[in-house]
Amino acid sequence: MSLAEPAALPVATSAAPRLDVLKRLTTRFKASLPAYLLLLPSLLFLVLFTYGAMGRVFVDALYQRATPKAPVRFVGLDNIGAVLADPAFTGAVINNLIYAVGTAVPSIALALLFALALSRTHAVSTALRAALFLPVLIPMVAASALFMFIFLPNVGLLDYYIGRLLPVLPNWLGDPDIALYAIMVITIWKNAGYYMLFFLAGLQAVPEDVMEAAHLDGAGPYMRLRHIILPELKPTFLFVTVIAILNAVTQVDHVFVMTQGGPSNSTNLVLFYIYQQAVEHYDIGKASAATLLTLAALMSLTALSFRTMANREGGA
Amino acid sequence: MLFSRRLTLGLAIAGTMAGALAFPALAGEGPAEIDLFFPVPVDGKLARDMGTLIKEFNETHPDVKATAVYTGSYDDTLIKTRAAIKAGKPPSAVIMSANFLLDMQIENELTNLDALIKADGTTKEQFLGQFFPALQGNAVINRSVYGVPFHNSTPLLYINADKAKEAGLDPTKPPQTWAELTDWAKKLTKREGDKVTQWGIAIPCAYDYCGWMMETLTMSNGGRYYNEEFGGEVYYDTPSMLGALTWWNDLVYKHKVHAPGATPGPAVSTSFISGNAAMMMLSTGSLTYVRDNAKFNYKVAFIPRNVRNAVPIGGASLIIPAGLEADKQKAAWTLIKWMTSPEKSGWWSRATGYFAPNMAAYKTPDMVDFLNKNPDAKTAVEQLDVAKPWFATYKTVPVRKNLEDEVMLVLNGKKQPKEALAAAQKAADETLKPYNAETSLKLP
Repeated sequence: MSLAEPAALPVATSAAPRLDVLKRLTTRFKASLPAYLLLLPSLLFLVLFTYGAMGRVFVDALYQRATPKAPVRFVGLDNIGAVLADPAFTGAVINNLIYAVGTAVPSIALALLFALALSRTHAVSTALRAALFLPVLIPMVAASALFMFIFLPNVGLLDYYIGRLLPVLPNWLGDPDIALYAIMVITIWKNAGYYMLFFLAGLQAVPEDVMEAAHLDGAGPYMRLRHIILPELKPTFLFVTVIAILNAVTQVDHVFVMTQGGPSNSTNLVLFYIYQQAVEHYDIGKASAATLLTLAALMSLTALSFRTMANREGGA
Repeated sequence: MLFSRRLTLGLAIAGTMAGALAFPALAGEGPAEIDLFFPVPVDGKLARDMGTLIKEFNETHPDVKATAVYTGSYDDTLIKTRAAIKAGKPPSAVIMSANFLLDMQIENELTNLDALIKADGTTKEQFLGQFFPALQGNAVINRSVYGVPFHNSTPLLYINADKAKEAGLDPTKPPQTWAELTDWAKKLTKREGDKVTQWGIAIPCAYDYCGWMMETLTMSNGGRYYNEEFGGEVYYDTPSMLGALTWWNDLVYKHKVHAPGATPGPAVSTSFISGNAAMMMLSTGSLTYVRDNAKFNYKVAFIPRNVRNAVPIGGASLIIPAGLEADKQKAAWTLIKWMTSPEKSGWWSRATGYFAPNMAAYKTPDMVDFLNKNPDAKTAVEQLDVAKPWFATYKTVPVRKNLEDEVMLVLNGKKQPKEALAAAQKAADETLKPYNAETSLKLP
């Protein structure tokens, strides 16, 4: 757009109105053509691998076959209805909600705590920051493999130490009451260090002079935290919350590696449900419909939060 | 000036990209190029062994150029094969989990191998006759051959012989019935107050393994688990399965000799290796792992019976996906026959720990030597006499999960066997409904 502006302006002053609009459009287009051409390669790949795939999901969600040998036929919104009526999907959504809240809140709280404790830079805090950030660098699949050994019933690291204190050793991943929480611990362990980075950056932005003024006015550490630091960190909170919730839906490698949604579907999350429909049930229609529902939920969540963010910045 | 230069540059880039996308490398003349998709269900060393095998094949067959493509687990291999078929570029051969064949045949994704067998001048009976009879059930569908057994397994009872002696039991006379096994497990369980420090027995239950163990227990209790002749029926709510699940439940909650909860296979083998469990039921595929890692004397035995000795097979078959050109199909068939020949079959068995499906493999000198050195590998082969096919139905995996989810609830003390099996049967019937609608319930 900016490329077009200087070329279009002189024309507008001399020509007739109707011609003017047409001409302006052609000139604009001509002026921005190279830009579009330069964008074309990346657009091509976006269409091929992102929009194309999304479009395909959208189309697939509208088709279904009644029996294995029957031809695929158009069913409209039936697949979406079938997904919503499936108790396994509702179960996965509930699990995912517990998982999202249960991982986002503790990992954000821990991240804030770490950031506050390590906000001043010196040798010790740098080392500690690195240590806390380390889990982020370990791929989720590798981390899951490690935790499988930690969680091994009877002989694992956890049972070896905690086992002495408990009368009955819990089967961390094999008990439907505990498995989801065991999975959540891994997510918190892995993400807290990552979110800490955002809070550290946010803390840098807290104005020094305000803090100093508060100090002179006799505000204690708690007062400064409550009335200056936390309000200043609000945009960071919002951003990290969105990221944490997106992660809760999309980063579920450990479910694939450790439990496959079990035992008895107790760790089945929405993404894994989609995988099950597509692969195990070989029901592309239902899998696509569930994908669309998830996509819609995530997109509206993101749009909502970014609008809130934009409003806040506009108002400030 | 600037404009036109930009334009030319843009066009050039766009053109190159479009060209690269539109025209993939054209196939040249020469040997038939084929892909073999292979999973590695146990450990990483297998990928190297497969490389060695395919290299040897290519050196001895100048008219075919085979490439081995590693495709992850059994489940991943099914996904990737289906994706490739959908994209119109099926691989020429795939090592496929033996109980996925029926489902793929129902979906018209397999090449019927009868014509290829006939073209070789052999009959179906002669061709199948090379393999252990127990393996044929998963390779033949509607009296046509769809798969060639490649590597297979059965469940075994593993016993820590040192602990057995310690408890006054004779490891050379392993338990043969459920009653004896229960007795052994009681004697092998050690307690400190209420706390168990050593479990008598461990049986794995995670998705996939759990269904296989339920089939094992049900078959040794006289049952069938599923209809071998027809993919639309499973027998979950039956006395034979009720007995099997009740016994498993009793081991956990009545005799308290088996840890509660669902325990995956690797956890069971680790528990056995560390001495935390004195006995376990696990696949023959774990034999190499136990042999390499156990720091005590161990013994393997048949799965004990309640009604009869019977176990299911596991493992994988070689298949040719549907929709291949004739020359690729022929090249794939050459590869498959070579890979399942007695020598190669035996070599793969020694490298992996699976048993060789080709009976003649056990007559080769290398194999005779190996069995003399490792008599435990012999037990697995002997048990094949009583082995039966692996469950395979329409939508095998969801139907299996319908049962597994309920078994897991029982092992966690949340449901009683009877109600769990009734629920499993109901869920499975629902999953099988579309298939029955167009087969058994489609009436004139």
